[in-house]
Amino acid sequence: MKIVVAVKQVPERDAVVRVAADGRSVDESDLAWTMNEPDAYALEEALQLKERAGDGEVVVLCAGPERVQSTLREALAKGADRAVHVVTPEDGDNALMCRDTLDVARLLADAVKGESPDLVLTGLQSDDLGAGQTGVVMAELLGVPHATLVLHVELAGAGIKVKRELEDGWMQHVEMPLPALLTIQSGGNRLRYATLMGIKKARQKEMREAPAAAAAKRVDEVLKVSPPTRVKQTEMLTGSADEIAAKLVEKLRFEVKVL
Amino acid sequence: MNGELRLAVFICGDGRHGKRCGGSAIVASPRGMEAGVIAVAFDELKVSMSLAEPAAFPVAEKVLLAAVIVASLGVFAWRLSPIARNVLRSKKDTDFSLRPVGARVWKFFWEVLCQAKVIEQRPLPGLAHAFVFWGFLAFALVTLNHIAVGFGHGFLQYAGWFGTFYVMFAAVWALLVAVSIAGLFIRRFVVRPRWLGAEVSVESGVIAGLIFLLMATYLAALFVDDGGGAALGLWWVHTLVLLVFLPIIPGTKHLHLVLSPLTVFLKRPEFSQLPKLEGDDDFGLVAGKDLTQLIALQAYSCVECGRCTEHCPASTTGKVLNPKEIVLGVRSYLNTEGPGSEVALLDGAQPALSMEAAFECTTCGACEFQCPVGVQHLPVLIGLRRGAVNTGAWEDKYGTKLFLALEKQGNSLGMSSTERDKFIAKQEFPIFDGSQEYCLWLGCMGSYDPKGREIVSDFARVMRALGTQFGVLKKEKCTGDPARRLGNDLLFGDLAEQGLKAFAMAGVKKIVTICPHCVRTMATDWLEYGVAPEIEHHSEFMARHAHLLPQQKGESIVYHDPCYLGRYQDVYDEPRAVVATAGELVEAERHRERSFCCGAGGGLAFLGEESGERVSHVRAKELIATGAQTIGTACPFCNSMFRDALGAVGGEAPPQLLDIAQLAARGLAMQTNDRDGKPGEN
Amino acid sequence: MSSNVLVVLETKGAGWHRMSFEALAAAQKLSNELGMSCSAVVLGEGAAIAPLAAELATKKLNGVWAVGDSLLAEYTADGWVAALQQLIVETKPKFVVLPHTYQVRDFAPALATRMGEVLIGDVTAIEVADAQSGPFFVRQWMQGKLNAEYRHRSEGGVCFLSVQAGSFRADAVAPGSAEVKTFAPKLDAAKIRTKPGEPFREAAQTVDLSTAAVIVSVGRGIGEQDNLKLVEDLASALGAELAASRPICDAGWLPMERQVGSSGQTVAPKLYLAVGISGAIQHLVGMKGAKTVVAINKDADAPIFEVADIGVVGDLFEVVPAITKAIRG
Repeated sequence: MKIVVAVKQVPERDAVVRVAADGRSVDESDLAWTMNEPDAYALEEALQLKERAGDGEVVVLCAGPERVQSTLREALAKGADRAVHVVTPEDGDNALMCRDTLDVARLLADAVKGESPDLVLTGLQSDDLGAGQTGVVMAELLGVPHATLVLHVELAGAGIKVKRELEDGWMQHVEMPLPALLTIQSGGNRLRYATLMGIKKARQKEMREAPAAAAAKRVDEVLKVSPPTRVKQTEMLTGSADEIAAKLVEKLRFEVKVL
Repeated sequence: MNGELRLAVFICGDGRHGKRCGGSAIVASPRGMEAGVIAVAFDELKVSMSLAEPAAFPVAEKVLLAAVIVASLGVFAWRLSPIARNVLRSKKDTDFSLRPVGARVWKFFWEVLCQAKVIEQRPLPGLAHAFVFWGFLAFALVTLNHIAVGFGHGFLQYAGWFGTFYVMFAAVWALLVAVSIAGLFIRRFVVRPRWLGAEVSVESGVIAGLIFLLMATYLAALFVDDGGGAALGLWWVHTLVLLVFLPIIPGTKHLHLVLSPLTVFLKRPEFSQLPKLEGDDDFGLVAGKDLTQLIALQAYSCVECGRCTEHCPASTTGKVLNPKEIVLGVRSYLNTEGPGSEVALLDGAQPALSMEAAFECTTCGACEFQCPVGVQHLPVLIGLRRGAVNTGAWEDKYGTKLFLALEKQGNSLGMSSTERDKFIAKQEFPIFDGSQEYCLWLGCMGSYDPKGREIVSDFARVMRALGTQFGVLKKEKCTGDPARRLGNDLLFGDLAEQGLKAFAMAGVKKIVTICPHCVRTMATDWLEYGVAPEIEHHSEFMARHAHLLPQQKGESIVYHDPCYLGRYQDVYDEPRAVVATAGELVEAERHRERSFCCGAGGGLAFLGEESGERVSHVRAKELIATGAQTIGTACPFCNSMFRDALGAVGGEAPPQLLDIAQLAARGLAMQTNDRDGKPGEN
Repeated sequence: MSSNVLVVLETKGAGWHRMSFEALAAAQKLSNELGMSCSAVVLGEGAAIAPLAAELATKKLNGVWAVGDSLLAEYTADGWVAALQQLIVETKPKFVVLPHTYQVRDFAPALATRMGEVLIGDVTAIEVADAQSGPFFVRQWMQGKLNAEYRHRSEGGVCFLSVQAGSFRADAVAPGSAEVKTFAPKLDAAKIRTKPGEPFREAAQTVDLSTAAVIVSVGRGIGEQDNLKLVEDLASALGAELAASRPICDAGWLPMERQVGSSGQTVAPKLYLAVGISGAIQHLVGMKGAKTVVAINKDADAPIFEVADIGVVGDLFEVVPAITKAIRG
C-alpha cells in the first residue's frame, strides 16, 4: 500500500506571534517552526498502517519554503520512506500564506497525482490558520472519497474501514473504496519521538523538490489581522456564594460556552 | 634475640580455661612482655623463631612439585583465558585516556592499597577484608620463598634479622587473616545480610576454608621441628591449598583478586561519565557488540558484595532493578553470547537485563559511588537506556510525552514559554545584557513550578540583598538533563547546542542556578558539544557569602543532600554552611555521600507512577524521623518530591519544607523587618 | 423562491443539532443587516424532516426548503454535497451559512470546492461595515492568538461560511412564519462512495479524561471522602467528567484512572473546574491544555490561581452547592 501524508509546517504552539507590517499576515521572522500536530498523527497512522501491513511505502509531502525541509526530515526520521517538497517562495503572492485554501489544496493535489497513492492522509486541521479544509478540498480535487476526524484505519477487502469521531463522544465506522483521502484527528495514536537512529537513516532517504504552480486569484481575502482585545488574566469572582454562582454560570454559558 | 617468643592467642573454645570467646584478636609480643588480659592460651609454649621447613626434596618430589605447579597454573590460565578474551575482544573504549595518571595512581593507592572505600562504607567487614588483603600482600614474599624451598632455593634466611622479622611479621598477618576470614565466613553463612544474595555461595565457603587453611598451615609450621615429617606434611598441605586456590579464582567472584586492582586503576575518571557515541552505528548499549572493554573488565571484576543493591533506591523499595544483577547480567551475557554479539542486551536472554529495570534507575549514583572494585554502573544503566531510546525500542507513554514536550516546548514540563515570560515580568527580573556579573538560570522548575518559582524568587532576593548584579536569559530551554539520563542523545544534543548558543549570544560569563541537575548537565555533559560558561550552584554562591547572612536562631533543620549536588559534584559543606546560618543543622541517618535519593532523578520525575513503595516516602520518613522542625533542600526536584511525600506520610504536623535559598531569604527578611521596627514575618 | 441568504440546518436524531439555531440566528442577522431575504434548508429522508421543516415555518424566514430523499436518510458527504449543490444552483443564494459542526466540516469544504469557492469556516463574528463593501467575517488564527477578518471577493459567486459554536445565541432567533417547499434532488446511489455505520460509543473500560470537554477536578481541599458528593453533583449538573489530583487517588477516594497530572492523565477540556486544588506542578502539567480554567480555593495564594482564568477565593462547601443549584436553575 502506498500512502501519501500531507503535512504542514506551522509556528510552535507557544510561539509569540506578531502581525506583519502589512497588517494582514503573520510576521514570520523570528518564529520557531514545527510539524502541525494533527499532521504528526496522520504520519503516525500511516507508519502504523505500513507496519501492520508489513510492507508499503509512506511518502511525506509538504509545501512551503526551504525551511519546511526540517519538518520533512523529521518525518523521514520517524519512518517515512521518501519526501516530496513542493517549493513555494518565502514571500510574495506565490507564498503559501498568501494562497487561499483551494489553491493550497491544489498545489498538494497536483503533487499527489504524480504519486498515484492508494491512500492520502493529512491532519484534520492546521494549528496556525485552523481552516480544517485542506484535506477535504484535496479529496474533491482528486475525485476520491474521504472521511474526516478519523482515529483509526484498517483494511477491509479492497477498501478501508475507518473509525471516525462524531460529536459528544460518539464514534462511527465508515467504509469506502480505495483510493481515498482521510483527515486524521489528534490523539488516536501515541506519537513516536524522533530517534538518533531515525535521523541517521533519514540522511540516506530521498527528498524530491517539485516546483509549485503560480498562485490563482484568491476567492476570499484577508482584510486585517489583529490580536484579540481580551487578554487572559485571572478574573476573581466575589460576593456571596449565590452571587458567585450566578456570575460563574453566566460566564460558563456565554463565554466558555459549555452550558 | 634467641628465637623465643610468647604468643598470646585468642582461640575459641579453649579447653583449659573452658571459656568461649568471640575470637578476633591476636597479639604477638617479644619475650618478657605479657600479653593482654584476654590472652588465654599457649603462653608457656616455646616456638622456634624460624619456620619449619621440610628437608631437601629428592628429585622425584621436585618433579612432582613442578608438575603440580604447572597443572595449577595451566588450569588457572585455561579458566582465565575466555575471560581475558572476552575483555580484549570487546569494543575499544575510544574515549579512554590514561590521563590524569596522578589521579589514577592516587585512586589506586587509596582505594586498593589502603582499602579506604571498603572500610569507609562497611567498617567492620571492610576492615576484615582489608586485613585479608594486606595479609595477602605480606604473604607474597613468604609464598615465593615457600615454593622456592621446594626446589631447594629458599631465600629467606631465618638466621638473619630480616628473615626473622619477616617470619613473625607474616605470622601476625596470618593470624589477622585467619581471624578475619573466619569472621567473614560467619557473616556470610550465619548472619547472611540479604545484599549478598538469597543463595548461599558454596564457592565462597570453599575459598574461605582454603584461605584459613593456608594461614593455619603457615602458623602451624612455627610450632614444629625443622625437617621433620610434620614440617613436610604442613609444607605440602600449604602448597596444595595454594595450587588448588589458584585455578578456582577465574570464573568465580574471587576473580576480583586479580582484576579489581586493574579495574580501579583504569576506571573512567568522572562520576557517571558517559562515553560519546562514535560513528553512525553507535546508539549506546544495544547488543554485545556495544559493550566496551572497560564495561567487560568491570563486569568480570564484580565481587557480588551487594553494596550497590543495599544503597539502591529502586532495589530497596521493591522495584525490579537490582544494580548488582545488572552487572552480573552483563557478565553472564558476555559468557553466553560473547562480545560482538548482535543479540539484544535488553529483554533478551538475560532476565536481569530488562527494559523495566533499566528505566527504574533514578541515576542517584549510590551504586557507582559505593562500589569497592571500580564498577561504574551509571554508564551501563544509562548506556542501556541510550540503546533503547536512540533506536526507538523503548515505548513509554510518559517518556514519549516528556521527549515531545522537550522537543516542542523546550522544557521538561511541557509548559508554554509564555508562562516563563509572565513570571519574569512579575518578579521584575532584569534580562541579562552582558553588564551583570551573573546570569541567573531558572531551569524548568524555577521557570514553571510554583514551588521552584518561590525558590528562585527567594534566591533573587538574596542576591539583591548582597548587592550582586544578575540577569536572566530572555528565553531558556531545558539543559537536556532528563533526556540525557533517559538516553535520548538526539534530543540532548539539540538542547545542549541550543543552550551553548544561547549563552554565547548573550555573552554570559558566570551562571548561577538553584538546580543541581542543571549545574551537572551544563558543566559536564555539555562538554561533548562545547564548554559552557562557569557555573555554580546557589549553595556555593551563598556559602561564599554566608558571613553576610544574618544568623537565625533556634530552629532545627535537617539537610537533605541531593544526589546531583553531593555524589555528582562533591558539594556537601556549602549548603550546610547556609543551613547553619538559619538554625541548628541536624543530620539524617543517611547523609552526605550516603544520602538517599528523593526518587526524582534520571527523568523518573516524569515517568508516571512507581511500582512498590515510593522512594520519596522512604526518604521523607527518614527526614521526619530526625525530629527536625524544618527540612532543608537544595534541589527543586527534591523539594517537589518531598512536598508530595510530606502530604502523604507527614502526619498532622509535618516539618516545614524550605530550600536553602528560602532559609537565607527568611533571615534577610527578618533582619529588614527588625531594622524597620516591624514585627518579623514568617 | 429565491433568497440571498441560505442557512443549512443540521438534524440530530429526530430533532435539531444544538448549533442549528445558532446558525439560523447568524443568518437572520446577516440578512437583516444586508437587507436580504433568508431561507433555511433541512436535509434528510422526506417523512423524517417534515415535522422539522414545519417547526422552521414558525421562524422569521422567507422560505423553508425540505430536501428529502431516501438516500439522505443517513448522512454521507457525497449525498449532502450533491443535494445542496443542486439546491444552490437552483436558488442562487449569495451567502450560505452553516453551523461549524463535525458534519459541516466533513462536507462543506467539498461543496465549496465543487462550486469553485472557499468556505470561510469557524466564524466567530459577522460585521457589516457598509452594504457597498459587503460583510466581513472574523475567524481565529494561531489558536486564538490572532483575529483575522475575511471577505469573500469572487463576483457573482456564493459565499460559504460556517459559524463557531456559541458565537451566536440560539435564543436570538426571531419568530415569524414561512412557507415550506420541498426540493427533490437527483441523487444516484452509485455516486455515494462511502458506507457509514451506526454511531456507537466505546465501551467505557477505563475513563478517558483526555477527550472530555468538561472536567470537574477535586483536590485535597475537599477534606474527607464523604464530601466528594458535592463535586459529583456539580459534575453531573455540568455533564462533566470527574477528575482528581494525586492525593485524592492516593487515598483511594477515587480510582487512579481519574488522576490528572504528570503521573496520571493529560487533559485538554474546554472547561476545567478545579475545586480545592492548590496547583502543584505535577498537577498543572496535566491540565495545562485546558481552554478555560476555573479555580475554587480558600487560599488566595494557591498557585492554581496563576493559571486560572476565573478564580473564586472562598469556601468550597458553600460555593460548590450554590453553583450546582444555579446550573440546575
